[in-house]
Amino acid sequence: MTKALKLTKNTEQGVREFVKFLLEKGNVKGVFTLKKINQKGSVAYSLITTSDELNDAVPFYPLMPTNAGTLLSRFTLNGSTTEPIVAIVKPCELRAFIELIKREQGSLENIYIISSTCGGVYPLKIVAEETIEKNLSQYWDAVKKGEMNENLRPACTGCTEFTPYTADITVDLIGHNNLDKECVLILNTKKGEELAKEMKGEFLERELDKETLKKFYDKRDAAKKKLFNEINTKMKGLDGLIEIFGRCIGCHGCSTVCPICYCKLCEFDSSDSEYKPSTYESELKRRGGLKVPPGTIYYHLGRLAHMGISCVGCGSCEDVCPVDIPLSIIFKKVGESIQQIFEYIPGKNIEEKIPLLTYEEEEFTEIEE
Amino acid sequence: MIKPAASSEKKGAVLSIKTTIQDSIRNLLKKGMDQGVFDAVLIPMRVPAGDSFSYVLIKDKSLLNNAVALPPIMSVQGAKAVSSVTRLGNGTMKIAAVMRPCEIRATIELTKLDQVHVENMTLISIDCPGVMPILDFIREPEKAIKLFENATKSWDDTIMRPVCQICDKSSMIAGDLHIGTLGTKKDAFFIISNSKKGKDTLEKLDIPLNGNIDSWQIKVKENAEEKQKKRKKTHKDLKTKIGHLDNLLDTFSQCINCHNCMRVCPVCYCRLCYFDSDKVKHPSGEYLRRAKEKGSIRFLPDTTLFHMGRMMHMSLSCVSCGSCEDACPMSIPVAQIFSMVADETQGLFDYVAGRSSGEPLPLKTYKKDELHEVEDAHD
Repeated sequence: MTKALKLTKNTEQGVREFVKFLLEKGNVKGVFTLKKINQKGSVAYSLITTSDELNDAVPFYPLMPTNAGTLLSRFTLNGSTTEPIVAIVKPCELRAFIELIKREQGSLENIYIISSTCGGVYPLKIVAEETIEKNLSQYWDAVKKGEMNENLRPACTGCTEFTPYTADITVDLIGHNNLDKECVLILNTKKGEELAKEMKGEFLERELDKETLKKFYDKRDAAKKKLFNEINTKMKGLDGLIEIFGRCIGCHGCSTVCPICYCKLCEFDSSDSEYKPSTYESELKRRGGLKVPPGTIYYHLGRLAHMGISCVGCGSCEDVCPVDIPLSIIFKKVGESIQQIFEYIPGKNIEEKIPLLTYEEEEFTEIEE
Repeated sequence: MIKPAASSEKKGAVLSIKTTIQDSIRNLLKKGMDQGVFDAVLIPMRVPAGDSFSYVLIKDKSLLNNAVALPPIMSVQGAKAVSSVTRLGNGTMKIAAVMRPCEIRATIELTKLDQVHVENMTLISIDCPGVMPILDFIREPEKAIKLFENATKSWDDTIMRPVCQICDKSSMIAGDLHIGTLGTKKDAFFIISNSKKGKDTLEKLDIPLNGNIDSWQIKVKENAEEKQKKRKKTHKDLKTKIGHLDNLLDTFSQCINCHNCMRVCPVCYCRLCYFDSDKVKHPSGEYLRRAKEKGSIRFLPDTTLFHMGRMMHMSLSCVSCGSCEDACPMSIPVAQIFSMVADETQGLFDYVAGRSSGEPLPLKTYKKDELHEVEDAHD
């Protein structure tokens, strides 16, 4: 059994008060969390240093304006945080951050992580439509009952990694009936226990309810299989790829927002991807016609090859795609199949090396042959 | 605002349409290829899935049968297609590029910025009724094609990008040749020359420049005046809406920093944007210091600064094409805002982006002693 802290407040309020307590007591100097920025339902990640500002914090709001892994990496890119902070993030955001740390793009030092079992997020376009507030009560109702929500990001609909692996504290959300009345913080690590030590509340032994989560997993898994099957039938061969990626406008927004794509200058934006007029001329002679700018499918396949092993399936790519390409399911599917070969779950364990670093000359002969 | 090219240059011919205008344009291009006037044509073509169009560089004439001179959408700004082929040099092929006026204007801006080389290219524009927002097309391509066809006939802009609805340069000739469809008889269109290259091209195609293009000019002027009025009003309304810092911050608060607007902008050609560079990556202590100053900061901070910075960097060359707005996943009216600012900054220098390759970029003609009225206004 793991230690847990129960507060008799609704869950969001409870977490808000917990981090307020941490700030006031000086355990942390900053709180990194989602915060409301207007009345239309827009939220943004914020770095909060006074408890008053925490009143607008909405740590579990079902939106992901930016994958927080990217943001925590930016925060610690030039060295670990000088003062302790607590970050409240979703499981896939935590996994992305861990993957970035493995690539020396950030540091976990001095950062306490609070995460939760995650019911998923809505596509960002819902903000532009200003309809999210209407959906909220229905969303939380489903989370409470451990049921699936509709109209989430497709990546979330098929997400089976909804429980955080390495959070110091996990907030019990999925299938937790009393979300409105109580707030249960599972203290997974010594760091987490230490942090909660002096908080007023009931300390107990508690774990996430395995049975509830298993049922939820099964629903998500079935949804994932369905999504994967759908994309599988569409994505057959080169023609299938042309069919799907033909409308790509080359904005590379998917790579800009991808937490794993951290390169300052992507290969596909570099001079390596520029061609001399003479190259166009000889290609044109050979083929009769050339799409310009060229390399659309090459870009997506290249990106897959570069980051597929670490894809956490957050769905940010699809959300920013101006032409609605079902990127997240394609990347999740290919990503998972690569990850399975290496028995690797990105972001699960900070000690586990990225498969490309553990390359052995004598392996995968079965694939090569 | 619209400076016509020297009247001696702007001459036209009236050509007849046998089946459709699209066919006539295709035949003209084929003739050009047959006679060796062009080696290749750069023109949009529908993608195999039918849900978009993309620029295709064509050498095999049979592919021209599927080319569309005026597609309902602008999936990639044509100047980007030109730059992809010619950024590293002129090449030896003679290419005819068929694009919309704002795409040609962006191309002209890029020549000034040394990002395209069009010596061997004949830039051909066409009267533009606007383009539809790309998602409107993708969601229902067949319906969109019909809507666009009708809109092209009636010159009704209500289905177009908001910034197209206020475009007063939709017939501006900045390239070598222009295809005029306004003010014509039903079975005819104009081809108008705007440069020596244009004139030579038509000569080689045995098209004498002796047609009367008055009706086109009248219609274009009428159109531009009407749009200019609408443009001024829209910009004025927008200014009231976002004029104060609070409103501006609120407008850009939805921004998620994907920088799609910059990535699709034909004028934002920097390989690595300042706002993606190490200059904007601070040590954690700096973020914490800023947070403590205000109690809380958005993370990432400086979202509005990005947009203002981009504006500073490119507004003098902004052609108001609307690509930025089309690519914004958060539906921020970026193009409308940028077009408003661009009109003002360009107006200050009596400059119109891409109007003429002869006009140098205002930043190149900087004089130490000028624009006192602007500086003094802020004293």
